[in-house]
Amino acid sequence: MAKDIYIGEILKNEEIQLDYFLMKVSLPAAFGQPLPGQFVMVRIAGLAEPFLGRPVSVYSYRLRKSSVEIELLYRIAGRGTQILAGLISGSQLEIHGPLGLSYTIFPEKENAVFIAGGIGVAPLSLLAEHLCKTLCFPSGQMTFYLGAQTSSAVVGLDKLSELCYNINICTDDGSLGRKSLVTTMFQKDIKKYDPVNTAIYACGPRGMMKALAGILKPAQFCCQVSLEEKMACGTGACMGCAVAIKDGEGNIAYRRVCADGPVFNLAEVVWE
Amino acid sequence: MKTKTAPQMAVQIGRLKLKNPVMTASGTFGYGEEYADYVDLNKLGAIVVKGLSAKPRTGNPPPRIMETTGGMLNSIGLQNIGVDAFIKEKMPYLRKYDVAVIANIYGESYAEYQQVARKLNSVKGLHALEVNVSCPNVKKGGLSFGTDPKIAALVTRKVKEETDLPVIIKLTPNVTDIAAVAEAVERAGADAVSLINTLTGLSVDLKNRAPHLKNITGGLSGPAIKPVALRMVWQVVKRVSIPVIGIGGIMTAGDALEFLVLGAKAVQVGTANFVNPHATTDILEGMCSYLKNNHINDINKFIGTFNEGGSSCSG
Repeated sequence: MAKDIYIGEILKNEEIQLDYFLMKVSLPAAFGQPLPGQFVMVRIAGLAEPFLGRPVSVYSYRLRKSSVEIELLYRIAGRGTQILAGLISGSQLEIHGPLGLSYTIFPEKENAVFIAGGIGVAPLSLLAEHLCKTLCFPSGQMTFYLGAQTSSAVVGLDKLSELCYNINICTDDGSLGRKSLVTTMFQKDIKKYDPVNTAIYACGPRGMMKALAGILKPAQFCCQVSLEEKMACGTGACMGCAVAIKDGEGNIAYRRVCADGPVFNLAEVVWE
Repeated sequence: MKTKTAPQMAVQIGRLKLKNPVMTASGTFGYGEEYADYVDLNKLGAIVVKGLSAKPRTGNPPPRIMETTGGMLNSIGLQNIGVDAFIKEKMPYLRKYDVAVIANIYGESYAEYQQVARKLNSVKGLHALEVNVSCPNVKKGGLSFGTDPKIAALVTRKVKEETDLPVIIKLTPNVTDIAAVAEAVERAGADAVSLINTLTGLSVDLKNRAPHLKNITGGLSGPAIKPVALRMVWQVVKRVSIPVIGIGGIMTAGDALEFLVLGAKAVQVGTANFVNPHATTDILEGMCSYLKNNHINDINKFIGTFNEGGSSCSG
C-alpha cells in the first residue's frame, strides 16, 4: 500500500464529453489500492513540462493478473490538463500515489447521500462502488444528486447507473434532468433524511460546497467533502495547497489539502 | 587508474561534517517525516527543516503556488509550527536517523532570531543553524534583513552570540551584489553561506487580469533559476573563504555537480523533491556514478575545479 511514484502506461484517453476525459492507466501490481477520495499526482514521464504533477482523484481501480488499472476522470482546467488530454495510448506517465486521506465511511448509517457537482462525481463514484461492492451496502439506500452547468458537463452517469438506482440529475440550464442547482435539488429532499442515520459525501466546485455548508449548518448532518487546490508535492511538504479549517475550539488554521485532506468535514471548512 | 571502490563523498562545511554533499533545501522537505516513505533519510548529507519562527505562523492565504515555465512561484509565508513544537514534536523523530539535522530559523526582529537560536542551541541531534535572511514572502524580516550587508552582518553576529552551533547564512538573490552580502556575513562570523533563496516573481492570470497568487508576488524556484544561482555561486566563491552551499534549480546529479565544480562544498535540493520525491537519493547516486566513471575517488578532488579558460578538461 505504500505510496510511491510508478510508471504507468496509458491504455485509453478519451474525450467523453467536451473538455471531459476518461483516462485508463495500467500500473505495476505494486501500486496500492486507492481508497475512495484518494488521489494521484500525474506527470508525463520524461517531459519537462508540465513541471509539477497534477492532482487527480481516482475514479476506478481494477486488479488484473500482474498489473492494476486505474481510471482518471478529468476536465481540462488549465495548461497541465490540456497537455494530458493530448496524450495517446501507449504514452508513459509518472503516477504518484495513492495520496491523501480517504472519505470516512459510515456503512452503519441507513442512508448514503452523494452530492456531486460536475467532475466532483469522480471520487464519489469510487466511493459508491466501494460501498456497494466491497461493503455490500444496499443500493436502495444510496441516493445520488448529480448536478452540472449543462448536459455536456454531466459525466460518469454510465458507471453510476450500474451502482445506484436513485440518481437525481439537474443542470443549471435545464438541458438535462431538472433545471436546478444540485444544492437546491437536495434541499427539497432534505426532510427525507434523518441526520443521525444519514452520511453525506460531497464533491464539487467551491460555490456548490459553500452553499451546501449553508444548507446543512442548521441540520447537524455529518457531511464530508473532498476539496481541490493547486499542489506542488502532494505529500505534505510544500504547504502550497492550504485551506482554512476551523477546529473544535474555533481556532482557524491552514491545513494541507494533500496530506490533511483532500477530504474534510464540511462544517470545519472556512469559506472566504 | 580505474576506481573500483565507491568514491569518498564526505565533505566538510567548516566544523560540520557531512557524509555527502546532498542536503535538502528548507521548505521543500517538511520536517523529514514527509519524505521518509520515499527516501532513506540516513543516506542524506543533511536535512534542512522548514523555517522556524519563535511562535507558530499561519502563513499566507491561498492560492499560494503557481507553476511557471521551468519552475514555480510560491508564497507560503513561512507557515510553521514554531520552534518549541519543533523541538518537542519533530526532533525526537529526526534523532532516530543518522543524519545531520539543520534548523532553518527566521525572525521578524533581531530579538526573534536570537530567541529561536537560543532555544535551539542545546537541542540534542541538531548539527547547525541556517539563518533565513532571504524569504521574499513575509512582510517583516526575511528579505529585508538579507538585502543590506550591514543588517545581514548584524543578524549573523546576533545569532552567533546565542549559539555554539555552526551558523549558515542563507542569502537572497534579490540584490545587486550578492558577494558583498556574503563578505559582510563572513566578517561577522558566519561559518558558511547558502545560496540562492527564491527570486521574487509574479504570475498574471490574464483571464481575470489578476495575480495568480493571493500574495501577488512569490518566490521563483525550479530549473528556471539554475543559471542565476550558478552565476551567483561563482561570484561568491571568489570573494569569501568560508564554505558555500549551492542551491537553485537542481534537478539532476549533473546540476548538482555544476555547483560543486564552481566551488560549492555542498548543494541543497529543493523544488525537485516536489516533482520526484526520490530526487535527493537519485542525485546522490548519479553523482557517485559520475565520479566513478571519471575515475575520481574523492568528491573533494572535484569540488572547485572549474576551468574558466574553457579549455578541454582531462579525465
